[in-house]
Amino acid sequence: MTTTIILLLLVFGVYLVAVLEAWISSGRFRLTTPILSGIALLGRESIVPRKPDRIFFEVAPVLLLLSAVLAATVIPLMPGLIITDLATGALFINAALVYVLVAMLMAGWGPDGAYAMVGGWRFLGQLIAYAMLIVMPITAVVMRAESLLTTQIVVSQDGLWNIFYQPLGFVLFFIAAMALAFLPPFDLPTATGELAGGVEAEYSGVRLAVFRLGRLTLIITLASATVVFYLGGWQGPWLPPWAWSGIKILAVTVTMLLAGRLMPRISETDLLAWCWKLGIPLALLNIFLVGILVLVIP
Amino acid sequence: MISGARLGKLSGLRRLVATAISRDLTTFVIPGPDIARAHGLDLAAAGLQIVASPRHASVLLVVGDIPLALHDAATVIYAQMVRPRALFILGTEIFSSLPDADIMSRLSQDGLIDGVQQLRTAFAEGAFRLDVADFDAPALQIRIEYTCSMHPEIALNEPGSCPKCGMTLIIRETQASTGRAHTKQKNVDVSVDEQMATGNEHNAHHHMSDAAKVEFTCPMHPEVVQDAPGSCPRCGMNLEPRETKTEHTHDHSQMNHDAAVQYTCPMHPEVVQDGPGSCPRCGMNLEPREITESETNEHSGMDHDSTDHSDMDHGDMAFMSMIDVTKNLPRSTDGLPMEWTEAPFGPFFPGLPGGLMLTLTLDGDTVADSKTQPLFENKELLPQVSPDIVNFIQQITRFGPLSPVAFQLLACQALENAAGLEISANVASARIGALEQERIANHLGWLALFAQQTGFNWLQRRAASLQLKFCLADMQQIATLAADIQSLIKRLGKTPLLKSRTVGIGKLASDSNLRGPVARASGVANDVRSTDKNYIALGFEAVSQTQGDAYARLQVRLAEIIHSLKLIQVSGAIERPTPADTGEISATGEASVETPRGMAHLELTLQKGQVIAARLETPSTYHLDLIKPLTEQQALADALVAIGSLDLSPWEVQSREIQT
Repeated sequence: MTTTIILLLLVFGVYLVAVLEAWISSGRFRLTTPILSGIALLGRESIVPRKPDRIFFEVAPVLLLLSAVLAATVIPLMPGLIITDLATGALFINAALVYVLVAMLMAGWGPDGAYAMVGGWRFLGQLIAYAMLIVMPITAVVMRAESLLTTQIVVSQDGLWNIFYQPLGFVLFFIAAMALAFLPPFDLPTATGELAGGVEAEYSGVRLAVFRLGRLTLIITLASATVVFYLGGWQGPWLPPWAWSGIKILAVTVTMLLAGRLMPRISETDLLAWCWKLGIPLALLNIFLVGILVLVIP
Repeated sequence: MISGARLGKLSGLRRLVATAISRDLTTFVIPGPDIARAHGLDLAAAGLQIVASPRHASVLLVVGDIPLALHDAATVIYAQMVRPRALFILGTEIFSSLPDADIMSRLSQDGLIDGVQQLRTAFAEGAFRLDVADFDAPALQIRIEYTCSMHPEIALNEPGSCPKCGMTLIIRETQASTGRAHTKQKNVDVSVDEQMATGNEHNAHHHMSDAAKVEFTCPMHPEVVQDAPGSCPRCGMNLEPRETKTEHTHDHSQMNHDAAVQYTCPMHPEVVQDGPGSCPRCGMNLEPREITESETNEHSGMDHDSTDHSDMDHGDMAFMSMIDVTKNLPRSTDGLPMEWTEAPFGPFFPGLPGGLMLTLTLDGDTVADSKTQPLFENKELLPQVSPDIVNFIQQITRFGPLSPVAFQLLACQALENAAGLEISANVASARIGALEQERIANHLGWLALFAQQTGFNWLQRRAASLQLKFCLADMQQIATLAADIQSLIKRLGKTPLLKSRTVGIGKLASDSNLRGPVARASGVANDVRSTDKNYIALGFEAVSQTQGDAYARLQVRLAEIIHSLKLIQVSGAIERPTPADTGEISATGEASVETPRGMAHLELTLQKGQVIAARLETPSTYHLDLIKPLTEQQALADALVAIGSLDLSPWEVQSREIQT
């Protein structure tokens, strides 16, 4: 029952993200756009390129969707509304999302095309770097909660959300989440103007639909994770807990979508340099600071 | 009804799908969205959604005349689109290799909107059909040749080793229509990045020639041979195609007779039928499979065993030695051997000017080499140029579809010079108004293209919409738009990452061959306007920068926009140049105009009021040669920014002698 509710909410969330994304990128607010595009994609042919690595090509979109959905299983939307409250929940999110990298690499390799290949390899560097920035801020969050349970992490933020308790960690996690979901300005693997769609370029019809569905799910999952780790999850006054979760997730999603619109795509050199030279030392500093706070504030 | 309908009966659920497709018109534009904007077309307002990959498009929109050199590429793009697909042509004749246009309309915003209406109806009623014709064209034929990875100019029909360096030749596929013997025609699918080199229709028949057949073999284990692609049972590598001649003793007609094509589902091999269609189990398109007598022949006719074995005899080696695998690969400057990939970045690449025929050789994410081709052969337009003055001017403007006013002015001034006419100061200053208006629109269009390339969504939309409004604006509207443009430029100064994407990219030393904003960004004060007395009267000052990189070129263009706004305000009038009546004179004349891309120069000879010879020099000609030095050993993204910052117009690349 819980599973069904969460999956339905996920579908609704994906729909909202699609509406928002279309609105932000085209300037037109239409509730029907994603539905029409989805049906249209199903009605178009789905072509397999000439010399594909067939298994990689077929598996990649499904794997992308699967890893995003898997990560969503440990996200609590309100007390009791969680698919599985794993004892290692906080780590599980990271573990599930690593398959995004595998999926993207497969999607890049599978079609045997130069644009896709460059896109896939770009994402390899991008995610190896930014997976560190996902897991290190989570470590600091877990230190405060003294538990890997995602529900416990939400409870631990009672009174003071992590965004105020460890703002540095929030900033790093937020940026890393955008890089993981390859949202602009981190859309290196799918860059339209540089790679004509990159890893997406060879997908069409139903496979493209699954790929895009996977990407939208990934965005909503990462926004939910940000809310759980830093924005106090379902907590908030007056409104019921589920409403707070919904509002916060939507707000984070909108911020993620809007931010990239206002700047050019980051160059790969900067992307990697900033992560390894700046992001990771800062993440270590964040762990250190939170460690002191945990010791000082009982 | 559309020619590119998908196979199926239009009923029930399919009707719903067809309606959805008719409301979701994903469009691939050729020659490019930049040309569409220069013609004043607002595609988004008309309901077309521009996509970057032909795989995602259901409408191919052709804007204006397409030069001969682009016909094949356009055909390949059409073949890459998935069904249902339609061809929508604005303001030009249909060209040979594409099917008949589904919708034709006028080259104007009204024409576009009309056409989109018809297109929606056509999709809703004809997206699925029971009689679907295959699409085939000469441009889609593939020929296999053998080439050296170090010397791409080597192209042999047989495998072997390179006559220059002795390396083993590798397989390369090229377009068959370029003509050489030993062609093998097969109709299969092409990946998007093969769009220019090769091309093919995705679900058509295999037309194997009678003497050749493709097998798949492992690059490490040549004894592994099979008929379908897959992976090597020994090492798991992907099998690669190679061409094998069937035994020469075979009677060719006999071979042909024995060959049969059957269609099978890639997911359900037990589904086999004689014609194309979709799988009754999963609905996927059936793929052709050829069954020939030679399949049972144990490949006795393989004609390149020797090379394969002598070079790669690894026997039963369990692991791949990197030294062996990479020993023949080209080396990058960092010494790492890598496989180099040649990929087209034009003529219809989303982030570069439409019509720019560019191929980059990629060494990983680095550009190892680049190749460009001119859009026009030197003499291609000769027969069309008319000696009649009015027509002549019209044709000159077609050399610069991105800046027609500047070229019209050029032609008019050359004529006036020949006739010895002096134009009044009022007219001259109104012409300056028109020229500067076009310069602003052109620079805004360049900004939109640059933003598209670098994924700067806000700037792309803002600059494009300002460009469209600005093209048509009168003096009053320009005053209101000026505020918008200034706030856009101000905002660009505060944009994060913009500097890091452009500073130090595409650095050019000052060089007297540079033209226009590119020259002025490198500190070369090369501007026709600074010597023009009419401009000086309006208070013209040349803008210049010294760094010579992409950032400096961006800054020069932004400063020019602001300065041009000022010039328009001072001149107070806008009037497009019209040719004066020169009468039946015989004389020679010349003129230079600072177009948005730099100085263009025209010399013409008149005889009895008819143009008998002309010579046109355009600014992009020299800039095209800069692509190679600017991109070599640069990261792909930086190389593209460098190319983009030149603001090339492939339409005017070629100085030509024009004969009438």
